[in-house]
Amino acid sequence: MSKENYIEEIRPHDSAYKHVSGYAEYTDDIQEPKGTLYGAIGLSKKAHAIIKKIDLTEVKKSKGVISIVTYNDIPGRNDVGPVFKGDPIFTKNKVEFYGQPLFAVAATSTELARKAVLKAKILYRDLKPIITIKEALNKKNFLFKPKKIKKGNPSKKIKTSKNSLKGNFTTGSQEHFYLEGQAAFVIPKEDDNLLVYTSTQHPSETQQLIAKMLNQKSNSVNVVVRRIGGGFGGKETNFMTACICALLAKKIGKPVKLRLDRDDDIILTGKRHEFFSEYEVGFNNDGVIQGLKLNLSSNCGMSPDLSAAINERALLHLDNAYYISDIEATNYLCKTNICTSTAFRGFGGNQGMMVIENIIDNISRYLKKDPLEIRKKNFYQNSKKNITHYGMSIQDNVINEIFRKLEKKSNYKKRYLKIKKFNEKNKFKKKGIAITPVKFGISFTTVHLNQAGALVHIYTDGSVYLNHGGIEMGQGTHTKIAQLVANSFGLPYNLVHISSTNTSKVPNTSASAASSTTDLNGAAALNAVSKIKLNLENFIKKKYKIHNHEAVYKDQYIVFGKQNFEFKKIIHEAYLNRVSLSSSGFYSTPKINFDKKKFKGRPFLYFCYGAAVSEVTIDTLTGENVLERVDILHDAGKPINPALELGQIEGGFVQGQGWLTIEELNWKPNGQITTFSPSTYKIPAVSDIPKKFNVEIFKDGLNKEKVVNKAKTTGEPPLMLAMSVFYAIKDAVASVGNYKISPTINAPATPERILMSINKIKNQLENKNGR
Amino acid sequence: MISNTVKFLLNDKILEINNPDPNQTILNYIRTELKKTGTKEGCAEGGCGACTVVIGELASGQIKYSAINSCISFVPFLNGKQLLIVEDLVSKNGNLHPVQDAMVKFHGSQCGFCTPGFVMSLFSMFKNNKSYNSELIKDSISGNLCRCTGYRPIIDAAKSLNKINKNDEFSKSKNKIVKLLKRINSKKIYIKNEDKTFFSPKTIKDLKNIIKKNSNFNFLSGGTDLSLKVTKERKEISSIINLKEIKELDFIKINKNYIEVGAATSLTKFENQIKKYYQDFYAVLKRYGSVQIRNVGTIGGNIATASPIGDTLPILLSLNAEILIESPNKRKVLPINNFFIGYRKTKLKKNEFIRSIKIPLFKKNIFKAFKISKRFDDDISSICGSFNFEIKNSKINQAYIAFGGMSAVPKRAKACEAILRNKPLTINTFVKAKDYLEKDLNPIGDMRASKEYRLEVAKNLLIKCFLEMNTKKLTRVI
Repeated sequence: MSKENYIEEIRPHDSAYKHVSGYAEYTDDIQEPKGTLYGAIGLSKKAHAIIKKIDLTEVKKSKGVISIVTYNDIPGRNDVGPVFKGDPIFTKNKVEFYGQPLFAVAATSTELARKAVLKAKILYRDLKPIITIKEALNKKNFLFKPKKIKKGNPSKKIKTSKNSLKGNFTTGSQEHFYLEGQAAFVIPKEDDNLLVYTSTQHPSETQQLIAKMLNQKSNSVNVVVRRIGGGFGGKETNFMTACICALLAKKIGKPVKLRLDRDDDIILTGKRHEFFSEYEVGFNNDGVIQGLKLNLSSNCGMSPDLSAAINERALLHLDNAYYISDIEATNYLCKTNICTSTAFRGFGGNQGMMVIENIIDNISRYLKKDPLEIRKKNFYQNSKKNITHYGMSIQDNVINEIFRKLEKKSNYKKRYLKIKKFNEKNKFKKKGIAITPVKFGISFTTVHLNQAGALVHIYTDGSVYLNHGGIEMGQGTHTKIAQLVANSFGLPYNLVHISSTNTSKVPNTSASAASSTTDLNGAAALNAVSKIKLNLENFIKKKYKIHNHEAVYKDQYIVFGKQNFEFKKIIHEAYLNRVSLSSSGFYSTPKINFDKKKFKGRPFLYFCYGAAVSEVTIDTLTGENVLERVDILHDAGKPINPALELGQIEGGFVQGQGWLTIEELNWKPNGQITTFSPSTYKIPAVSDIPKKFNVEIFKDGLNKEKVVNKAKTTGEPPLMLAMSVFYAIKDAVASVGNYKISPTINAPATPERILMSINKIKNQLENKNGR
Repeated sequence: MISNTVKFLLNDKILEINNPDPNQTILNYIRTELKKTGTKEGCAEGGCGACTVVIGELASGQIKYSAINSCISFVPFLNGKQLLIVEDLVSKNGNLHPVQDAMVKFHGSQCGFCTPGFVMSLFSMFKNNKSYNSELIKDSISGNLCRCTGYRPIIDAAKSLNKINKNDEFSKSKNKIVKLLKRINSKKIYIKNEDKTFFSPKTIKDLKNIIKKNSNFNFLSGGTDLSLKVTKERKEISSIINLKEIKELDFIKINKNYIEVGAATSLTKFENQIKKYYQDFYAVLKRYGSVQIRNVGTIGGNIATASPIGDTLPILLSLNAEILIESPNKRKVLPINNFFIGYRKTKLKKNEFIRSIKIPLFKKNIFKAFKISKRFDDDISSICGSFNFEIKNSKINQAYIAFGGMSAVPKRAKACEAILRNKPLTINTFVKAKDYLEKDLNPIGDMRASKEYRLEVAKNLLIKCFLEMNTKKLTRVI
């Protein structure tokens, strides 16, 4: 691609018309053939117990029930763990979390199936559950051996530093709350084949797990996904629904639909990892970190799932945008009796970044300096201080520039002073402001996952059909990849048609995850395009005796110097001359390598950068708060479709805001989750968003690496822009003690946490005055 | 004439359902029987808005549109009404409705699953109003959750409607629809489907007859709570008596001394009247639930359900409201302060129904109400506090204070009230009085808030009352 040929074209999401008119089809919307049955899953009512007896007599008798499946019906692998085992489809004799699947039924309607499963009589022998990180740490209940990473000699550095601080910090769990719950629809076909429609981010893994469960080959299972109603990582694993649906369909020999209702979906599927960190940091009088020691523990739930990779990404993002010369971190992956923790936008990176941002904030408060200054002092630089704690040299750093621009654009300095004045005058309402950076590494840290495939056909009328391995989950990957392909062929967008993601079209795909769907699949699609182009060009050059000219594809013509060939006509001509007009494409990310054991290498192809300024007002009598204004400057490289990227930035920010302010999951000590529906679990609604919301894409953005369109992904990184909201709240709380006492507050900063943090400061003030 | 047929308009076509399952939700009917799948299920409890449809009804010769949650309304609700679903908004030649078009233009959809619900909420806003400011837009979509966009593009799409010609396909077909609605003008219905029955009387006389002849029924007055028995607990409600079609229960009467509200009056209708008298009552109602909920939820339903988290209850307690109760052969008036006797338990007897609620107008009093919850929109109160002070010569003559969301029953804070009475309006009075709330309240701790937080905020709300009375300025950030 030549430098001038960046796309940067705003167009609506490819399904926008269908979204607004109700014609966009999701798994549960597919019209069923006659005879289709409907499933429901029977869940455990204990978090940790031995199953003494499962009595399904009443379930069998229940109206409309056709069939029941238990672990006895699984001929093959009874596990949906993607990397490690540990996620039984139906548990055999031990229950490890409240809501664990025990059996499933198929009935003549969804309502009847759901009524039936409630009639099971299960006899348990209770075991003591472990629910919290602290319990797991005390009992040393870990999924893996604790992992230690080290660079330099932080203990010594902390000792010799002018200042040091100790503390701990927690960031909470989060439920994905994709609006479309988990759903699958499986149709048995001849030769034991299964056609599987399912709401997943990972069709290939679904295919493989169903095949393994049934002791069949992968070539007998075809997984098709047109679109999913949100994923956010919650459909990256969680293969339970599709597997159970396939098991029912296989046993009965009839199509089966299985859709979890919202409660079951939240109860039984994974969530974000809660992280607890304890730190000791040494720093000089300028606030520059000189040594850092950390214990980093996460609540992984009952199984490994993706926890190893998620904790690894947390370790890889402990630096955020800051150079830390000497660091040591020990990582504990706690096994507990709650549903497994899983992928969620940010994938541990955000939790790691919150750890260091909290430390930086506390350093600033200790030194009584504006946190902005301390952040800047610690930033990675371009030629020095540019090697990460895992030994990667950062080549594309723009955080200093972005920060400078945003500081100015948002009028930070003036507002900072104004807020201090406001707080002097107001006793009960307090304001706070914070600016925070984002640096987020792009690539799967498991190197082999960084590959993608595509399949491109041109039909004789000149229309293009495109398949790739990516899942359309709202992010607009189909739109952007169609834009790339259309642009590369010099065709109008509407001549390129992207259809369902389909394991029979593109095999062995990676999950649509790690923000890299468009980077990987877009490149694979362009690879397929280039192969077809080569066929075409060779044909034209030979037939029309063209030498010394490069082909240019523009406005539905292929141009060689002064010779023009109308695309549609030349395609038909090529067909008549027996030229292949179809090709697969492949891409594997270059340059990356990472030694997981030594924790060294280049795990990321590139970094995404951004920064946000948030201003809040809090009510010191109730903890209620309002987000007054947010300014964002975010690096999207050369965005293919700026409107879609803007959507990702804003949406990611609000999702992060939810994680850090109002979204709170709650488990009883016995392991029963109490927050499993929108009445008890609150994601941001329309009044939560910033009153003023100024979002800008960094105009000088450019991906230095060879990535499609020189774009930078906007999938996960914007979530972390919301860190600024949390630290603005903390800043407002700090004003209660006239900025002399550093507040202690964990995330999410709910009204209750805010009030309690304020009270703590008030008590400290009283104690001081009392003395 | 009694009918066993639910007759309604699907857009502009008359549909009839004979003896439908009275426990079938409208959403289920749309998806499985009409085979239209644009309307989505997101939560089956009226908490996400993905299932939003619009109901058209005749109101003084015009069509009044209301967005409702189709996941928690049963099919008989449709009787005599027009049902509009998202697919109906596209014109016959495939053109998008202006609301849909704006959502496309402003990139208001990403994954698209919540989008039909937003479209329907905005459609109802578009049809019922002449212009759309931020407050109206936010209120209109406060019951719709989107996990992808962060709402900004949806708000912008809604704002752009200010510049759009209001004359849409539905304005053009208005006369035809009005005629059709008149033609199907609903009769009282009596449905029997297997062992389930559903009565929908049109008059109080009919209602009393039904009550006389039946036992073991549930009253339905909006059903935003009752329906969850079906959609969440997976139980059946075998016998339902619908109160919402009784015109005599749907009224607001205002005189010098009180407002009287019919029990089946929708909260949307009520909030617009109460605004003039008790601004804070209005403000709490706006956050009571989404538009979809307030469009069907009724004040009588809220009282009879006696949920400790019913937001109107502490307010009505502190306003000393009275409840007019009727049975087939009796009428009585009960002060609301004697009405609640335990968790979801009231003094209502089996054959009694609430006819209306009388809310005194304390014109000289200072009335304040606060709703505290994790989220501003459509959340359940951690604490809902209501305060009614009569001040004479800088002295507190009377104080009526009540709290909800704290424990099993909404409750007056009598010890605190007593200590405030006849005290000067000073900060010291309130600082001293707030500790008496510990005697009055014994809050629970749950997923919404801890015991400690609830008690502390309850106390602080009292301080906020003083600050607001003292400075005549609001102290709230939201």
